[in-house]
Amino acid sequence: MHAIAARLRPLVFPALVLGSLEWYTRTTGQGSDALAPPSQAVLAFGRALLSRGDDSVLQATFFTLGSAGLGLLLGALLGISLGILLGLSRRAAAMGFLSIEVLRPIPSVALIPLAMLVFGFGYRMEISVVAFATFWPMLILTQAAVQQVEPCLLEVSQALGLSPWARTTQIVLPALVPRLFVALRLGVAIALVVAVTVEIAANPSGMGYALMISQQSLAPDLMLAWLFWIGVVGYAINVAALQLQRGVARRMGDLTGGRPP
Amino acid sequence: MSSALLTFDQVAIHLGGREILSPTSFAVARGEFVSIIGPSGCGKTTLLRAAAGFLVPSGGVVRRHEQPVTRPSREVAFVFQDYGRALLPWRTVQGNVSLALEAAGVSPAQRPGRIAKVLDTVGLSAHADKFPAQLSGGMQQRVQIARCLAQEPELMMMDEPFGALDAMTRESLQDEVSRLVRSTGLTVLFVTHDLEEAIYLSDRVIALRANPTVAKPSLAAMVEVNIPQPPDQLLTKEHPEFLRLRRELYGFLGHH
Repeated sequence: MHAIAARLRPLVFPALVLGSLEWYTRTTGQGSDALAPPSQAVLAFGRALLSRGDDSVLQATFFTLGSAGLGLLLGALLGISLGILLGLSRRAAAMGFLSIEVLRPIPSVALIPLAMLVFGFGYRMEISVVAFATFWPMLILTQAAVQQVEPCLLEVSQALGLSPWARTTQIVLPALVPRLFVALRLGVAIALVVAVTVEIAANPSGMGYALMISQQSLAPDLMLAWLFWIGVVGYAINVAALQLQRGVARRMGDLTGGRPP
Repeated sequence: MSSALLTFDQVAIHLGGREILSPTSFAVARGEFVSIIGPSGCGKTTLLRAAAGFLVPSGGVVRRHEQPVTRPSREVAFVFQDYGRALLPWRTVQGNVSLALEAAGVSPAQRPGRIAKVLDTVGLSAHADKFPAQLSGGMQQRVQIARCLAQEPELMMMDEPFGALDAMTRESLQDEVSRLVRSTGLTVLFVTHDLEEAIYLSDRVIALRANPTVAKPSLAAMVEVNIPQPPDQLLTKEHPEFLRLRRELYGFLGHH
């Protein structure tokens, strides 16, 4: 009985919020253009789920996650590679310093007009903006992580006569993994935010666009449904990233498992 | 000394504007076990690092086979004091040993046999698949020694390898290293702050002094150890020669 009560505890607050919203929108706030009863939002979401058109939930979710994922992959690959280089070589870090500090503060959303000119609407434009946004934190965090690799391990690699390539892949990269996961989880959050922003601001596809359209067609029930859905998707991705982190940590001998930060 | 494997020729080391090691000369012959003792801050670890090529001396030259040592070599293995930092925590015991073979370009097909051999030598066969964090300190240090043996070096540098271990483990590892070195003919340069350990293991003990001056250079004393081999934890430490050397060198460790 206590176990069940403990499991239900986190659900008390959401239930209260949903209940009061339902009550408010059916009494005082009836006919509001901004809010709709949660029950109607569920129905609207159900219709969108069943629809086969451009506004289909699956298609929009796939578009947003696909662009966010590919953009993050691109940003992470470039950011991690350059971060390792800048972390290992003081000369490279000195050469890159000015360019990085000038380019890094550009808000990624400010790149949307340029990306639209270069790529037009669609996947490529969104991927490029997400890649730009995730590249910088990956770069900075990787560079800092490389500088924190146990110096003794680098001396071990010298004493054993490991090649520079083997030193990078067998010592530096594995030593980075725990910190890279922190960077990656940050990157996942940024990628989702930027992808949805690009869709709201410019790209006529994905979950952000669906959210915009439901707002413009004065359908607050559908809009709330999308908002809730985006939250659910974000939560699911975070849980998946955490599971991945734990799995890798277990394989790499950290028997305590990755502790959630 | 043509049979010298390693020679120190007027080697001096300055760090941060301070003279750590005043010009010091000595030679290590092939198959010899030489210990370096001295109080903290006398530069014994620095000397060892210079011998291994991790740092270049400010004056003089270290030679191995008559060639100046300028960087680490695969021929020289280095056992770090802090085994916890020197092992790859994400690799198992055999994975850690394998690293030395990968570095030496040993083909994947030959690796398991050679890994099994060195793990058997240090008595870790039963723990090949464990990660370092699952092992005791003494076992972790054995893994590091196994990795160094897999390197098949001609010279092994050991930097206070047993300093962090409890007395029981330390004694059993001393005997193991002694047996191992005598069976393989390895040449060893061994740094320790434990005088008895130095006399127990070595053919020769070099005592360094801290804060060297012109009148009192870094090299304080160099003594030959002539005690019947192989060493025995009880008999050797009761041997009159052992006690005489212990008394002679005691003052160099900062005691007065």
